[in-house]
Amino acid sequence: MRRSAWWMLAPYLIGLLGLVLIPFGITVAMALTEYDLINPPEWLGWANFRELWHDDGFRTALMNSLVFAAIAVPLRLGIALMLALLLHRRAFMAGSARTAAALPTAVPEIAYGLLWLWLFNPSFGPINQVLGPLFNRLGVLAPRWLTMPADARAAIILMSLFTIGEMFVILVAARQALPRDAYELAEIEDATGWDIFRRVTLPMLAPVLGVLLIRDTIMSLQLSFTPALVVTKGGPPPHSTTYLSLFVYRNAFEYLRYGYAAAATVIMLALTMLAVLIQAVILARARQMRR
Amino acid sequence: MKRLLTAAVAALLLASCSTTGTESPKDNAPVQLLVFGSPDELAAYRTLVSAYKGGQVQLVEAADRKDLITKLSTSIAGGAPQDLFLMNYRFYGQFAAKNAIEPIDDQLKKSTVIKAADFYPEAMKPFQWAGKQLCMPQNVSSLQVYYNKGLFTKFGVAAPKPGWTWTDMLTTAQDMTRDAAGHVVKATEPEAGATPPAVHGLGTESVMIRLAPFVWSNGGQLVDNDAKPTRFTFDTPAAREALKNFIDLRLGYGVIPTDDEVKAQDLVARFTSGKLAMLLESRRITPTLRAAKELSWDVAALPTYKQPGGILHSDAYCITKASKNKESAWKFMEFAMSPEGQRIIAATGRTVPSHIATAKSNAFLDGNAPAHAQIFLDAVPSLKAVPTISTWPEIEDITEGILENALYRGDKLDDVIAEIDKQTKPIFARGEAS
Repeated sequence: MRRSAWWMLAPYLIGLLGLVLIPFGITVAMALTEYDLINPPEWLGWANFRELWHDDGFRTALMNSLVFAAIAVPLRLGIALMLALLLHRRAFMAGSARTAAALPTAVPEIAYGLLWLWLFNPSFGPINQVLGPLFNRLGVLAPRWLTMPADARAAIILMSLFTIGEMFVILVAARQALPRDAYELAEIEDATGWDIFRRVTLPMLAPVLGVLLIRDTIMSLQLSFTPALVVTKGGPPPHSTTYLSLFVYRNAFEYLRYGYAAAATVIMLALTMLAVLIQAVILARARQMRR
Repeated sequence: MKRLLTAAVAALLLASCSTTGTESPKDNAPVQLLVFGSPDELAAYRTLVSAYKGGQVQLVEAADRKDLITKLSTSIAGGAPQDLFLMNYRFYGQFAAKNAIEPIDDQLKKSTVIKAADFYPEAMKPFQWAGKQLCMPQNVSSLQVYYNKGLFTKFGVAAPKPGWTWTDMLTTAQDMTRDAAGHVVKATEPEAGATPPAVHGLGTESVMIRLAPFVWSNGGQLVDNDAKPTRFTFDTPAAREALKNFIDLRLGYGVIPTDDEVKAQDLVARFTSGKLAMLLESRRITPTLRAAKELSWDVAALPTYKQPGGILHSDAYCITKASKNKESAWKFMEFAMSPEGQRIIAATGRTVPSHIATAKSNAFLDGNAPAHAQIFLDAVPSLKAVPTISTWPEIEDITEGILENALYRGDKLDDVIAEIDKQTKPIFARGEAS
């Protein structure tokens, strides 16, 4: 029995070793070198990390990534939950609405970015065609999605709010799997909708929400890459929408600084692990308190 | 311990991404040529490849310049690089410094098809690294002023004349900045409900290669040492004046479009649709302008300060050091650089041939627009190149952001100069010069 379990696990373990652990080891090793893909790497020790510490571009990218995660992750999870609770029942057009909610996730990332590039066009884009007259009445300019730092950061977050298909599908399934008895009991006791949500739905969905929260936090470091590359190109200057993933990409593939990019990647990984650890501790304490 | 670790890391990395063994020529394998460009340019390269009878050439098309660099570096690391690539002199330094390009001096000396003296030395020199000719320049383009003849006629403004100055260009741009009713206006900062000008007098990108020729024309220097630069020298009077006048184009004089307008419709599209009277650009936009049949346009020389100043725009064919097809690659390069190859590419209108005889022939001066194509040839003696330092791509990216903020946000001149210095000094220090 135990041997067959190992055989079944083997493909996953080989994949884990070949696609995660070995690349991770290479990345850590590369972070301690100067490497341009052309000549053999040269040992640098901690020099890449010291340079990162003084690099304004890196610090900005790091802060942008943290702010993006802090705003986008709760919003994405909240919207996915809201849509799942709204659309989990069988109702008129619910199927079509579910498809519409899940569909943007299926659009290839580059195509999705190019679509938003048109949507955000300052003069011809439909968003500002609608917002322009409204803002003009208030005597202020419509958002300048591609040229003002705060507006551009908001644009990247806005783009991320529509690619919640996976979370939405998981939450719909999780909600549909909740026992009816609990809801019937709550109805008998005249509980309000808010009470049912707070005392029945939320606690029962909490394990799923916890997993999704951790997963989306990890994902958030990658989510911003294509939009920032395609739509805002890391700007407006100097680095308004340069996130860690774009910083790594540019240093590695555009400037051939693979060692430096690897050092930034190691920091990115460390941060991800720290964020996951903090969330795991908080969720574990929440579970203990409920008991 | 360090050596052991370095060796281990090197072995791991090289084993993971390289299959390079001993180099063996592959006589029957096609020569791979890595290029990027507009559909017109790619079509021209296909014509060039199909006209070549010396063997098979496979075109590898990159999406853009950055994609080309990525493809090239990863293919070199993978041990199977493209044999030939086409790259601007501003960006080849990072490969030259890493010894990834094969010198071609010996082949050039032996060649019975082409000679070094056949080509403009202004284009040959930037592709020399440590005294060796690494690449062969395909073109010798430069920055000039494209102008919409129809708009100048419509508004009764005199077209740019040879020998005109920066002040003349500024005055002309002001005269050509018009509202929808045709009245001269000054473009201001975007305001709620305000109508932007229908036509802007001038269009320019906020990049170092647009500013550099004016610094040189004003008698200034861009960097402290052209051969081994360590910093920009915008704190010197001539360079500072050129920078100030450049960033005043938007907020000081209101003659160029806002950043939002440029994001909404790029400069070339604005020019072809009659929303720009003049545009600072190199020869590369000629095929696009020729395709705009309704557009009446021509080209004028770059305005000057104290002396003629121009900036070289040149791309070259380079052979990768790790190519297994160097001999075949050279044969194709020889053809591409021959009068026949140069004529084929010149026919697209995109390039100013680096081959002197071809440039002066009807192949280039073919009577098609622009009528004053001779301007590109007249400019050649005064062309200068930016430093071919290995970290120049980073320097251009960083300075583009700073200049963009200066142009559109009105950052103070002293702050702009200080920021350029602060941000680029460490990158200059990391760079390797020829």
